[in-house]
Amino acid sequence: MHRIYVHPLPVRIWHWINAVACVMLVLTGVQIRYVGLVDVVPFRIAVVVHNWIGFVLIANFFVWFFFYLFSDKIRVYHPELNPIKYYRGNLRQLLYYGYGIFKGAPNPHHVSVYRKFNPLQSMTYQIIMLILLPIQCFTGILLWDLKRFSGMVAFFGGVRVVDTVHVLIFTVFVFYILFHAYLGTLGRTPSEKFKAMFNGFEEVEEGESADGTE
Amino acid sequence: MAAVRSGGGPREADENTETHVTKPSLGGRMGLRPFAIRTIGAAVAAVVLALAGMIASASAAAPSEGDAKCLGCHGAPGLEKQLASGESLSLQIPGDAFAQSVHSVIGCTGCHTDIDPSSHPPAENSIGTKREFSIATVQVCRTCHSDEFEQWGKSVHAALVHEGNPGAPLCTGCHSPHAVIKGASEAMDTVPCKSCHGDIFTAYAASVHGVARSNGQTQAPLCFGCHGAHGVSVPSAGEGMKDVCLGCHTTALTAHRKWLPNAELHFDVVSCPACHSPKAERRVDLILYDSTAQREVSESAGVPEFESPTGSPTAKRPGLDPTTLWTLLKTLNRPGVEDKTSLKGRLEVRTGVEAHELAGKSAAISDCNTCHRAGAQAFQSVTVSVAGPTGIPVRYGASEKVLSSAFSIESIGGFYAIGGTRITFLDVLFVLALFGGIALPIGHLTLRWAFRWYLNRKPHEPRKG
Repeated sequence: MHRIYVHPLPVRIWHWINAVACVMLVLTGVQIRYVGLVDVVPFRIAVVVHNWIGFVLIANFFVWFFFYLFSDKIRVYHPELNPIKYYRGNLRQLLYYGYGIFKGAPNPHHVSVYRKFNPLQSMTYQIIMLILLPIQCFTGILLWDLKRFSGMVAFFGGVRVVDTVHVLIFTVFVFYILFHAYLGTLGRTPSEKFKAMFNGFEEVEEGESADGTE
Repeated sequence: MAAVRSGGGPREADENTETHVTKPSLGGRMGLRPFAIRTIGAAVAAVVLALAGMIASASAAAPSEGDAKCLGCHGAPGLEKQLASGESLSLQIPGDAFAQSVHSVIGCTGCHTDIDPSSHPPAENSIGTKREFSIATVQVCRTCHSDEFEQWGKSVHAALVHEGNPGAPLCTGCHSPHAVIKGASEAMDTVPCKSCHGDIFTAYAASVHGVARSNGQTQAPLCFGCHGAHGVSVPSAGEGMKDVCLGCHTTALTAHRKWLPNAELHFDVVSCPACHSPKAERRVDLILYDSTAQREVSESAGVPEFESPTGSPTAKRPGLDPTTLWTLLKTLNRPGVEDKTSLKGRLEVRTGVEAHELAGKSAAISDCNTCHRAGAQAFQSVTVSVAGPTGIPVRYGASEKVLSSAFSIESIGGFYAIGGTRITFLDVLFVLALFGGIALPIGHLTLRWAFRWYLNRKPHEPRKG
C-alpha cells in the first residue's frame, strides 16, 4: 500500500464548502417549502439564510470551475468517448456495487491522480456539476428576485416552471447527498474516503501505477 | 362548473368601486368656479357666483323675488306629480334648505332654464319615470360642472347607469340638488357615499382611517380621499388600490423592504388589505390577462367554460377544476390566436367591507406562515375573473386544487406562493427521493452484512437434534 495525493487543497476546500452549503440549502429549502410540517426556524430567517448560502454556493462553484479549468487535473472530468469502454466501465462498476461488493470482490476501479473517479462517479459528477448545479443556481437566482428577473421568468414559462425545475433538482440532490455519503463509506474502511477528502491522500495497492493502469 | 358574477348589481357595484385618481379636494371641486360657460344661463350664474361671497349671507336669508314665486307653490308640502309609470314625483322644494344651499345664489331658473314662468305649469309635461326624469335632468349639472360630469362619465357609476342599473347614482343621487351644502362630502356624518355603501362605511368608520378622521385628523382619508369624488373606478380591478395607498404612504415600500423578502413582488400580487385587514378572509383571484395587449380579457372571450356561470365563489362548490382551467387556457391560446392569454394571480380580501376594515400597522399580518404554508386560508378560495362590461370583474368560482395541481405549472404561470400553493406531485417525488436516499443505503448495508455473515460462518456446522 502506498499513498498518492489525489485531492488538491482547493478541491478539498471547495468540496467541503459545497457539501455544507448543499446540506444547509436542502434543510432551509425544506423549512421554506414545508412550513407547518417543519418549524425549526422562522420562514423569513430560512429564506434569508437560503439566499445567502445560495450565493456562497455559486461563488464556490467558480472555485471548482476555475481550478479545474486552469489545471491539468481537469482530466479527471474528461468523459470516456469510446462507447464500448464507457458502457463496459459503467457496467463493471454497477456489477461491483450490485453484486461483487457483497462477495468481497475487489473494486474494479483503481484510483490514480488523473483517474480518481470510477466510471459511475465520473458520469454522475459531470451531470451534477455541469448540468444540475448550474441550472439549480440559475433558477435559484431567478427565484431570489422574481421582480428583477420577471422578463426572464416569463420567457421560461412563468414562476411555476422555474420553481418546479428548482424543486425537481432539489429532489435529486436530496437523494444524491444521502447516497453519495453512503457510497463514501464503501472504501477499504468506512472512513477511508472521508479521511482522503480531508488530507488529500488516497491509499492504493502496491503495483497500481499512477495513471490508473495496473 | 360553478361560477358566478360578482358585482353585477348596484350593491355589489358599490362594493367594488375604486379609483386611481389622486386625492382631490372635494371642497374645491364642489364650490362653483368659472368653468367654461356654455350657455347664457351659465354665464349669468358665473357672474352671480363671483359675487356670491359678498351676498351669500343675504341670499341665504332671503330668496329673490323670482325664487320666492317658485317657492310659493313648490314650497308647499305634498306637492307632487303622478307619472305615467304610476310613480309620484315630489315637486316640493324645502325652502329653508334651498336658501342654505350653494345653489341658492343662482336661483331656480339658473338650473331650470327650460321653465317658462309665463306658461308654468305646462298643460302637458309627460314624464315617463322618475329615473328617466333624473337622467334627463342631470344634464343641467353639466352646464357648470363640466369637469366633474366628464369624470363621472368615465366612472363605474356612469357605466352602471348606462347598463340600465336603476340604483346607480346620477349627480342627484349623491348631491341633493336643492340642498347642496359646501363641504358636505368632507364630513363623516354627511358624506353621501354611505347612503348606498352603508355597510362599507360602517367598516370604514371603525378602521384606522375612520377613527383618525373622527378624531379630527383631516389628513386621514374619507371616501373620496381614496376613491375620488366623481371618477370612481373599480377597486378590485387590476392592481386595485395599491397606487392610491402608496399615494399617501409614500415610504411603505421602503419600510417593507427592511423586513419583507421580495417586497416589490408582494406589492404586485398581494393587495394592501390582504395583510392590513387582519380579520378579513382572503382569496386568490386569477385574472385572465391578454399578454399581448397588456389588459384584462373581457367577458366576450366566449369560451365554453364561461358560458353558463352558476354558483358562487363563496359557496362550497367545486368550480373550475385544474384540468378544466388548463383546457380553458389551451382553448384561449389555440393555434392561430395572436393574443396570448395568461393568468395573473392576486391575493385579495373577499369583500369590499373587509377591504375597509383596515387596522393599524401593529395589527397588520407580518407572519409569513399565514400564507406560506399548505392549507393556508388564503388559498382555499379561488376565483377566475374576466373584465365585465362595466369594468367590474366577473368572477367564476374555481377549485382550490387549481393552485396545487401539476396542471398549474402550465396554466397558472403567473401566481405562486412558496409553501402555500406548492404542487402536490413534487411533494410525492420529494418523499420518494428521501425514502430512496435512506432506504437504499440501509438495504445495501444490510445485504453486505448478510453476505459477510453468510460467507464467514463456519462450514458444515452440525445441526442440533
